[in-house]
Amino acid sequence: MLVAIGLRGVSVITCNRCGKENQDHYKFCLGCGSELAKPVPAPAPAANPQGPSPSQSPASSSPASSIDSRDPALDRTVLPPAPMGAAVAGELRTSSPAVAKARGGIPWGDSPKMPAPIPFQLPPNPLATATPPPRVTSGANGGAMGIPAGATPAPMRVTGGPAPAAAPGGEIPCPTCGKMVQAGFAFCGACGGRIGRQPSSVGAATGPRTMFMAGSASAAPAAIPRGRLILIRPDGSEGGAHPLHEGENIIGRGQAPLFDADAYLSPRHAELSVGPEGVTIRDQQSLNGVFLKISGEEALESGDIFRIGQELLRFEVISPPQPLEDGTEIMGTPNPGFWGRLSVIVGRDVDGSAFPLFGESIVLGRERGDILFPEDGYVSGTHSRIALHDEHVYLSDLGSSNGTFLRLRHERTVPTGAFMLMGQQLFRLEYR
Amino acid sequence: MLCPNCGAEIPTGNRFCGSCGNKIDVAPAPAKTMFFGATQQAPGRAKLTVIKGEGTDGVTYLLNANEHLAGRLEGAIMFPDDSLLSPRHCSFIYRDGKLHVVDEGSVNGVFIRIKAPVDLVPGALFLIGEQLLQIEPSPPDLGPQPDAEGTYFYASPKRPSKMKLIQRLRGGEIGMIYRSRNDTISIGREGNDVNFLDDPFISGRHAQITMNVDGQISLTDLGSKNGTFVRITDELTLDHGDHVFLGQQLLRVEIS
Repeated sequence: MLVAIGLRGVSVITCNRCGKENQDHYKFCLGCGSELAKPVPAPAPAANPQGPSPSQSPASSSPASSIDSRDPALDRTVLPPAPMGAAVAGELRTSSPAVAKARGGIPWGDSPKMPAPIPFQLPPNPLATATPPPRVTSGANGGAMGIPAGATPAPMRVTGGPAPAAAPGGEIPCPTCGKMVQAGFAFCGACGGRIGRQPSSVGAATGPRTMFMAGSASAAPAAIPRGRLILIRPDGSEGGAHPLHEGENIIGRGQAPLFDADAYLSPRHAELSVGPEGVTIRDQQSLNGVFLKISGEEALESGDIFRIGQELLRFEVISPPQPLEDGTEIMGTPNPGFWGRLSVIVGRDVDGSAFPLFGESIVLGRERGDILFPEDGYVSGTHSRIALHDEHVYLSDLGSSNGTFLRLRHERTVPTGAFMLMGQQLFRLEYR
Repeated sequence: MLCPNCGAEIPTGNRFCGSCGNKIDVAPAPAKTMFFGATQQAPGRAKLTVIKGEGTDGVTYLLNANEHLAGRLEGAIMFPDDSLLSPRHCSFIYRDGKLHVVDEGSVNGVFIRIKAPVDLVPGALFLIGEQLLQIEPSPPDLGPQPDAEGTYFYASPKRPSKMKLIQRLRGGEIGMIYRSRNDTISIGREGNDVNFLDDPFISGRHAQITMNVDGQISLTDLGSKNGTFVRITDELTLDHGDHVFLGQQLLRVEIS
């Protein structure tokens, strides 16, 4: 199994069955589906000297990474978080109501070729002076992401219930970890859990409760927030949660530890207003926008941007030709019936390929459809549809694993359970 | 005219009589000739002949003066119904004993049929069949550029390409854009990198775009039936046998 530098410094693995070059974060060959051997990990870079990195996986999965140094513009970095609807191998997710029918086993239910855990690499953290950038790669440990170094990655167990009766000898078992603690201590010496805590007003916790990312053991908030933004990790599991209080909540890089590591998040990225009628999201003119996962049909306006897999696409209407002031018409190919155009955004103010839209239905996908993205493993076989009916254009998801995300145009009131992509992080919104 | 055999009326352009089937020897109607300054084509002077749809000849213009303006509303060479012509489109001028075509700032430009591979500048426009196409080299990848707040821009994965071919629709909109990873783009009706199956004026293998190691892009016609036309920049010297395309008019140049 050969790991080589492909074009422009992108690391590729050559499949030894069919010879196709695959980006090194894929586990299965896009061409023939056979398993690709893991590349030999390079030693962790010295840039990460202090603090516990959430995952000690090697910072790069190929010898090439030290050369290209986390260029977010290159293919293999900045991959989107995994689908919330995808099942981690062998597990059916039944907790979230927003999950599309979970397919047990392989997360990419429509193709056996697709990899299970999705590695996630963040671009160089421009804020990396005190905090070392979390370098998280390769699926060895399930790919934890989005958890900044410095905050404890493991959820703290806070159990309710009265203090257990003291055993003879004046020791009581710690309610959290069970170790015998000398009577009279307020905290367990082994795990730091509080002894003899009053039952919380939320009701007896029945299991581990995710701590809000304040970083200290006793950081239970005094006011119960109306809602939370829950980070969804690439493997589909839940990461930290950001509390949402009544009124305005600003989401952005630097607003909370949960957002600090995402260099694709603007400092003031979005505002979530929590009010009596629900939660309203407003994009704060962020660079990369707020993308909401669509359900059903969403109307598309000219200029709208949406995302499938890693592809960032812009829809535009093709307007009928208008003569100039002096009566001259602009020459060109006779229009055979194109009413719109889909452009692939490859850079700021830079478009790549463009596909004309004609007919009543255009299917986008990786393998089957009218517009194909065969090299994007995060696009499902058939992913989305653009439809023209009633003289309007609509975008809908065709049951894709990862979902179709439409960039927020103005503001929107979203229901609880909605998924949104901000920067490079996927969140689920929950509120009462 | 009347059939010499049976006397039935035969519509113009028919080769056989509809009543008796007699073959008619019909000489093509002489094309109208426009005269400028003289009644005959003077030696060393040029004439322009409009080529019509079926390949037959239309009006001939004898360029016997020194300058001849062509356009939709002005000029001795006038096509009032051609909305793709600017009111003043281009001029045919003699200079130093040679005929030049000069673009008079027209919107749509003047196109010349290429006889040999030509170099293209970035953004150059060319005509293949009914397709107006444009070639652009891909810009160099500057790498990630964070904005003023240090935020990085998210975009689709970069797939390297050398150049992109743009289809420009009538009215100015862009239709499709094809990005090429290779040094060449072949264009035709089928079996090429870019295929236009429904364009009847395009040959099976029509033309090819090539980028050399220095990044210079060139256009080559692959022996197509209708030719490949490239837009001239400001002016061009015309030779005998050249084909010039302006608005929707195809003109053949003959220089005695």
